[in-house]
Amino acid sequence: MSTDAKSNPSNGWEPKIVAFCCNWCSYGGADSAGMGRFQQPASARIIRVMCSGRIDPLHVFNAFLEGADAVLVTGCHIGDCHYVNGNDKTKIKYKYLENVVRELGIEKERLQLNWISASEGEKFANFIRDVTAQIKKIGPSPLKPEGVV
Amino acid sequence: MQKGEMYVGWSTKEDVRKRGGSGGLVTSMLAAALEKKLVDAVVVLKKINEFEAVPIITSDVNEVLNSAGSLHSVPSNFAKLIADRNLKVALPAKGCDTRAIIEQGKRNAINLDNTYIVGLNCGGSMHPVVTREMLEVMYKIKPEDVHGEEIEKGKLIFETKDGKEHAITIDELEEKGYGRRESCRYCTIKVPNNSDIACGNWGVTGDLAGKATFVEINSDKGAKLLQNAVDAGYVQVQKPDEKGVAMRAKIKGVMEDLGKKWKAKIFVPMDNRLEFFRKELENCIDCGACKTVCPTCSCGEVSKCTEFHMRGDAYKMSMYHLVRFTHLADACIGCGQCSDVCPVDIPLTRLYMMFANPIQEQLKYEPGMDMRKPPYFEVKLND
Repeated sequence: MSTDAKSNPSNGWEPKIVAFCCNWCSYGGADSAGMGRFQQPASARIIRVMCSGRIDPLHVFNAFLEGADAVLVTGCHIGDCHYVNGNDKTKIKYKYLENVVRELGIEKERLQLNWISASEGEKFANFIRDVTAQIKKIGPSPLKPEGVV
Repeated sequence: MQKGEMYVGWSTKEDVRKRGGSGGLVTSMLAAALEKKLVDAVVVLKKINEFEAVPIITSDVNEVLNSAGSLHSVPSNFAKLIADRNLKVALPAKGCDTRAIIEQGKRNAINLDNTYIVGLNCGGSMHPVVTREMLEVMYKIKPEDVHGEEIEKGKLIFETKDGKEHAITIDELEEKGYGRRESCRYCTIKVPNNSDIACGNWGVTGDLAGKATFVEINSDKGAKLLQNAVDAGYVQVQKPDEKGVAMRAKIKGVMEDLGKKWKAKIFVPMDNRLEFFRKELENCIDCGACKTVCPTCSCGEVSKCTEFHMRGDAYKMSMYHLVRFTHLADACIGCGQCSDVCPVDIPLTRLYMMFANPIQEQLKYEPGMDMRKPPYFEVKLND
């Protein structure tokens, strides 16, 4: 099958990473990564949400089921939330989400949580680079639909 | 009478005592609550035959008195029946019913102040279809001939119409795949201390054995309920002897340990989980019965699990089940209703518990045991 050749890591396969970024911190972080010219792979697709608390487990499942190889949940540092305690809620919600994804038998590298502030451009770029390297090593997601690269 | 006290009691009515299990105390207590207008309605099981009964909400005292007797092969759950009705109601409840009622209380579907929960000690219930098959295969008797059933000293006893008793140990039945439902085997709530008043035959000693019920009062509401029944002359109580109290604690401990053993046996770590889940769920026909029957679900018709699920997506995992796995991680009480109703026999309760067990352990949150809200709602503005 042609998809096998394309999804073979040695054939220059690039993972697809969906990164949920909150408007006030990590989206700004992604922005300053660009402004600071920090090199990062083109594997991440950023989805902006107003707060990391907006990220529903459903969004993450949908990303996986539509073919994402990894999903990143990012937001402001604890205590810095623009909406007072949105990321405190994310933290608990993420525990449940993480539990379901782990119990499903999906590798732990495929779902990651990170707090990135608007000024931490380098941290954002490094994060994307690290995750891309990890995913390249473990290959495509088992939840990827047939025919999706 | 007050919270924390224990009694041994029985019904004062001859025919209730005769038909009801263990002295008919629960039946009489419910009837007294209705008679003295403590509640407006009572939920009881209306018996069709030995394997079938329908739960009904009734305000008729005679109907309550007629419902006397226990059925082990009718695994019903009353929580959804009284949800969203704003009733002043008293109802008998097994451990799982009680947990479901409390969970519905947290979701504001049941007003717990108006609900009198009469907890019943429960060692497990059986699936009616499996029970019929078991009677034919293991007991070699026709299901239609069965007149009564009883669990005594680890043996399941069926009495036929000709008066003969047929007994086989529960261990032996469960080895062959019959006996209690799977969720009952690993259940560890055998005495519902989360209810208002916990009743059961464990701990009744001497001459009273089989003729009285052991009662533990767990709340002020429970004390009110029992006091009302005594005042109305429906029930007689006396203090239990020390031997009985010790015996009850011992049986409770033994049963809970057995539950824990089953839990360790059923939930073993495994590889290739994704394949396992896909295989278990491959027969799902999207009927939604597991959600309809789920006693802790109060989402209603339009809910996240159904609205975002489309068969045409042909995803590798069903979105419906993924959402429910997440949703039930902090709500699953392991009552087994979903497995019972599944038309394609998916062991749903086991699947839900596989997700619920680790996170409930990690966050030290057990649904349905008290009024503590799920951890997500514990995040407060001034934290």
